[in-house]
Amino acid sequence: MARRDDNDIVWSYRNKKKMKKLILSLPIIIILLISSFSLIYLLQKKDPNKPPSALLDENLPEINLVNLFNEEEMLSNYDLKEKTVLINFFASWCAPCKVEHPLFFDIKKKYPSLYLIGIDHKDKKEDALKYLNVGGNPYDYVGVDKKGSVGLEFGVFGLPETFLVNSSGKIIYKYLGPLTKKVFENEIKPLLK
Amino acid sequence: MFCYVLSDFSNYNVFQNSHSSKPMLYKITGTWGNHEGSMLLWLLIMTFYNLFFSFNKKLDNDLKKLTIFFQASLYICFVLFVLFTSNPFLATSIEINEGLGLNPILQDPALAIHPPMLYIGYVGFSLVLSLALAGLILNKIDTKWIKITKNWTLFCWSMLTGGIALGSYWAYYELGWGGWWFWDPVENVSLMPWIAGLALVHTLMITQKEQLLKRWIVFLSILCFSLSIFGTFLVRSGILTSVHSFAADSSRGIFILILFLVITGFSFIIFIFKSTDSREKLNLLFINKSSALIINNIVMLVACITILLGTIYPIIIEVITNKRISVGAPYFNMTVLPILLPGFLLMSVAPALSWQSNKLPKFKNYLILFIVMSILSSLITYFTHFNAWGFIGITLALIVIGASTLSIFHNYTKYNFKYFFLHNNAFIAHIGVGIAILGVTCSSVFQTEHRHSLSIGESVGIGEYSLKLEGTKILEKNNYQELLVSFSLYEKDEVLSKIKPSKRYYHVSKMITTEAGIYHHWFQDFYIVLGGQKDNKWDIKIYQNPLINFIWLGVMIMILSGLIGIRKK
Amino acid sequence: MKLNLYLNKILLILFVICILSILFIKNASADIESDLKKISLKLRCMTCQNQTIYDSDSDFSKDIKNIIKDKLKNDEEEKEILDFLIQRYGEYIVFEPQMNIKNIFLWYFPFVILALSLVFLIFRIKKN
Repeated sequence: MARRDDNDIVWSYRNKKKMKKLILSLPIIIILLISSFSLIYLLQKKDPNKPPSALLDENLPEINLVNLFNEEEMLSNYDLKEKTVLINFFASWCAPCKVEHPLFFDIKKKYPSLYLIGIDHKDKKEDALKYLNVGGNPYDYVGVDKKGSVGLEFGVFGLPETFLVNSSGKIIYKYLGPLTKKVFENEIKPLLK
Repeated sequence: MFCYVLSDFSNYNVFQNSHSSKPMLYKITGTWGNHEGSMLLWLLIMTFYNLFFSFNKKLDNDLKKLTIFFQASLYICFVLFVLFTSNPFLATSIEINEGLGLNPILQDPALAIHPPMLYIGYVGFSLVLSLALAGLILNKIDTKWIKITKNWTLFCWSMLTGGIALGSYWAYYELGWGGWWFWDPVENVSLMPWIAGLALVHTLMITQKEQLLKRWIVFLSILCFSLSIFGTFLVRSGILTSVHSFAADSSRGIFILILFLVITGFSFIIFIFKSTDSREKLNLLFINKSSALIINNIVMLVACITILLGTIYPIIIEVITNKRISVGAPYFNMTVLPILLPGFLLMSVAPALSWQSNKLPKFKNYLILFIVMSILSSLITYFTHFNAWGFIGITLALIVIGASTLSIFHNYTKYNFKYFFLHNNAFIAHIGVGIAILGVTCSSVFQTEHRHSLSIGESVGIGEYSLKLEGTKILEKNNYQELLVSFSLYEKDEVLSKIKPSKRYYHVSKMITTEAGIYHHWFQDFYIVLGGQKDNKWDIKIYQNPLINFIWLGVMIMILSGLIGIRKK
Repeated sequence: MKLNLYLNKILLILFVICILSILFIKNASADIESDLKKISLKLRCMTCQNQTIYDSDSDFSKDIKNIIKDKLKNDEEEKEILDFLIQRYGEYIVFEPQMNIKNIFLWYFPFVILALSLVFLIFRIKKN
């Protein structure tokens, strides 16, 4: 009987020692975890001013866009079925939009099957018409969003914003800010395959 | 600094952040108003700590040498950081005669002293870490070590308290939203070492007589500076959105992260292998001083962990799910504040508790006090505007202030009047905390806001006060033009004061800032912010912040008490 | 002093009263302005550097405040309005982390740790 007691004591002492070592190494484990998450975040070059869109992998919201050039004509989701669509929110008063504007001509030339929609967000019709007259119109369809209600559905908060919708009607990409050739080549082009 | 004073724009840092028309005070303090300059200040303060520590005559030589060694190694780590990623001595590549100017909201006296004071606190914990590492390796964590570490920790912590308070006070009168704490990541980052430092200070002060909890003290000592470094990483890497943004750069971020891993990893590894497995028995009763101390530590650490979790949670979630969430004031108010409640409650009687027994001397008095205060605060909240947080805050504050005052009376006959402050330091510190809690509760829960449009000569009534728009004036100052709108505050037809909110236009940066006009009074602050002007009517927002000055008073008492604690044996 | 034994219990009771009072009080809000203030204080201005929509004067904030006002006039509940905005702008726009699977750890961990530590302490005290 005495031997068993000795073994029990040794056992519980060993367990206690193990517990203590475990608790002591806890800080290091936590530090490593936190550091790896931070490192991954930094390396992914995430921009604190550009949050990922809430609409990623969601269906395209219900839209009914009046044509800028023809008040009678409307575009709805039905018209976009089976199409790959690039939606660009812009306005005549938005300076960075002017910078990215020429790029859309190139895009349209290289990818004629890509349906390009421009949405004129919170703008005056005359100003928009003048803007497109001067800079040219690369879009297949230009919709009017005078009050910003369409932008609201897309979670737009700063112009320009560009969305890519695949042929199943899901939003698969969003870009905040003026689109550049580099971004298009690196991020949008791979998704077009 | 010379380059700043002379407005020598061949230095790139001066070019980016200064201008010849900037007032001299801000030319000097602008040295540390930017990332590179502030790191230089960091290094300077680190050296000063090492210098002043070297004058210490009480520690054994080997302990002293090893501490200085570690401090110097830490210094080199940060020098490397500055050298490789944050060099303030770069030359401007072109010849230029003028600078880009400093952000106007940073041109302010409180914000000028805020970084130095904050760093004296923050950076000072590096010395505490060095002491801990040296003590661990030489196995010399004894009474002498505890006393020296206690003094240095008290000093750093007091300075850090002042730095944080200055920052909050500045936010209060400058940012114009009537508040002083937003749970912004940068604020959280300064609060975490403060809380850890507070736990450490308590444990060091109370454990002098019976050297228990050695391992815990060393752990806390390492934790404080680890939190400082991690905080610096969070802020300088640009990884979080904050109101207080430095020019962020991911290469800087990665460098500091590596520094953090190296320094903290090394320290904790030493901790694992070298900390003594002390089998001392703690005399724990419910409730005596030892268990109260442990509860204090638990509450502080859990609060600190919660703040850390809340601050980095968005990063973790975005890495895993690519969705961004926000963790802001609602979260922290609903978690940290309830967690601190038991700590505050205990704080009212803790210094009076004894080590040996769980008897509280003259217990009946405390009981009567508790009941009276609870009734008093119920009445107060009932007659003003009933709110759960208001009730809790006021009750706690009254209990803490009351019980501490009671304890001082109980102590009255036992000592020489000369040593009043030293003997009652703990009680006085807690009274300070109670006053601050009162201020925090009343100014947030009972704050009132009024919006009005007034034209010149018009008055508006606010309770028993009235505010009259007297007139406007334009002033030309050094580097800005100011449009002052002056108001007269009346209390029942008697003029109390003039309040002058304004809008400033800074020529160089072409920015317009809105300066709040504040009338400070013990019972409440009147805080006026200008909106826009339409047809000769000014839109204004008026805040009444009851008892807000109690916050600054309470914090000042805490700082003084911390410094006095250094003298205590 | 038998009363000393009660000190602990009284402290506990006071504490519990405080906690319970949180649960029992719900401030009744009468008008749209105060509801607007309550809701917009919880929302982040997406074009500012860490400000609430209530405090911000940016165009974005003004638009959102108008949207909230219209919805309040339509008798919509706070939860519906927040969900509406979250669906479009993501959880990033709300300062309070929503209670869902990924945030459970965030909300419960602090209290679990606190409870565990206190239980551990009580255990050690009993052993003494």
